[in-house]
Amino acid sequence: MRPRWQIILSILICLHVAAVFLGPWGMAPYDSALSGLLERAMHPYIRALSLDNGYRFFAPEPGPSHLVRYVATSSDGTEHEGIFPNRDTHWPRLLYHRHFMLAEFVNTLDTFAEAPDGPSHIRDACVKSYARHLAAQHDADKVAIYLRRHLIPLPQQVLEGTRLDDSRLYEEKSLGEFTREEL
Amino acid sequence: MRDSMVGTWIRAQWQGWTKFWFQPSDPATLGVIRICTGWMLFYTHLVWTLDFQDFFGPRAAWLDLDTAALIQGDGWAWSHFWVVQSPAMLMLIHVASLAVFLLLMVGLWTRVTSVVALLIAISYVHRVPGALFGLDQINTLLALYVAIGPSGAAFSVDAWRTKRRNGHQADTTRPRVGTTVAIRLLQIHMCIVYLFAGMAKLQGQTWWNGTALWGAIANLEYQTVDLTWLVHSPTFVAFLTHLTVFWELFYIALVWPRATRPFVLAVAVLVHVGIGICLGMMTFGFAMLIGNMAFVTPEFVRRVLPGQGRGDGQQLPAQFASDNAKPAAKPHTRRTSKGRGGQGGQNRSARMHSTSV
Repeated sequence: MRPRWQIILSILICLHVAAVFLGPWGMAPYDSALSGLLERAMHPYIRALSLDNGYRFFAPEPGPSHLVRYVATSSDGTEHEGIFPNRDTHWPRLLYHRHFMLAEFVNTLDTFAEAPDGPSHIRDACVKSYARHLAAQHDADKVAIYLRRHLIPLPQQVLEGTRLDDSRLYEEKSLGEFTREEL
Repeated sequence: MRDSMVGTWIRAQWQGWTKFWFQPSDPATLGVIRICTGWMLFYTHLVWTLDFQDFFGPRAAWLDLDTAALIQGDGWAWSHFWVVQSPAMLMLIHVASLAVFLLLMVGLWTRVTSVVALLIAISYVHRVPGALFGLDQINTLLALYVAIGPSGAAFSVDAWRTKRRNGHQADTTRPRVGTTVAIRLLQIHMCIVYLFAGMAKLQGQTWWNGTALWGAIANLEYQTVDLTWLVHSPTFVAFLTHLTVFWELFYIALVWPRATRPFVLAVAVLVHVGIGICLGMMTFGFAMLIGNMAFVTPEFVRRVLPGQGRGDGQQLPAQFASDNAKPAAKPHTRRTSKGRGGQGGQNRSARMHSTSV
């Protein structure tokens, strides 16, 4: 390969590796003044190639998992209650995981929204979108959505006989109730 | 005198750099990575088909278009879903996408299908920000490097067709610069993935006190194999927890030396197969292992694949095999193969790859 091409390719490689590094390093909200600045400089490239990933697998620690419970009420008063993810209905496992991530995603948005000065409009939009989907799916006039947190039992609790699906390990909060007009 | 020393040092660094990035290498490893990536992309998108309208439909998807666009925040997260609104057309594109992934897997028209597969994978990822996880991050990065390198040069229909057209004049094992660039970029990307995965864990108390793995074991929503009996072995749980963090943090350093690489890759297999089997994420585990394949030498690939001892899909005459090495027989590559003469072109070119890793 000619030296000129080696130099050109080297510059492109350096820029690309910098973008790969900045993807997780400059990712909001964990960015610093420096990493955020550098990320913004390469933002279009990072976004266009989907390099904006944190790679935070089970970090900062494996915490409780989250599920979404919903009640969709039809015009005749029939209630359709469901929960996702649901091992019984979501198969294969990858499809189950997609629904699992939908629930985890709304929890992440809710966590940001609950922080002081945290933005709540994205969480609200997301919850409404889920509600619209469920309303259409069940031809419902009213949809109520709840975020269910499934806590991890301590080892000591399991040694004392607590099961992983013990009802005391579940917490639930309402994310909103919407009529068809509000959706 | 000093200038001369500085100049020598800079020249040596530049030579090291160009050897690392531009020394041609056998496309065998990249060929296998292409096959696995094509399969992963195909399967991942095939599963979308089951709930296609629920996730990608223009009306009343889980995340409708406006909400997805709001979450993405800017126009750089491009996707064909922003512009195509017809359900029938979307399904047609989806079916065509599956065909592209299959073509990529078998290696037909790979130069084109690899780039199109990358664009499709990114397009899907941008449309459903709420349903993504590690699998999608690794899928797109694999697709990126398969598109960058000549991934259809080995173990592909393209290679077979070239060989059939040109007979023994075809050289599908010829070392290529593009292969090296793609493999190196994938290797470095994997190092960055593990570095940040490890660094993020340092923020968590349970990764320090050795109970983090319990958090995964006792998570019913992830669990596919019940390992809660490990509650009786807290020391073993702590060992696995600490091993995970240390392995992720030091992957970037220990995967390069030949002495430590087998250990690092063996742990990768244990961790990702373990996560796949016990936490129900086989797809993610498999995608990570495909990424780790970048550190497997082409020589090893040809040794373990049946019928690849000396050629790409068939046994080549020794004379032809030797000819294969000629394009790469530069002074510095001759040095690396010294003392191993007579092993054939594939082995020699594979060694060039392995010595520079």
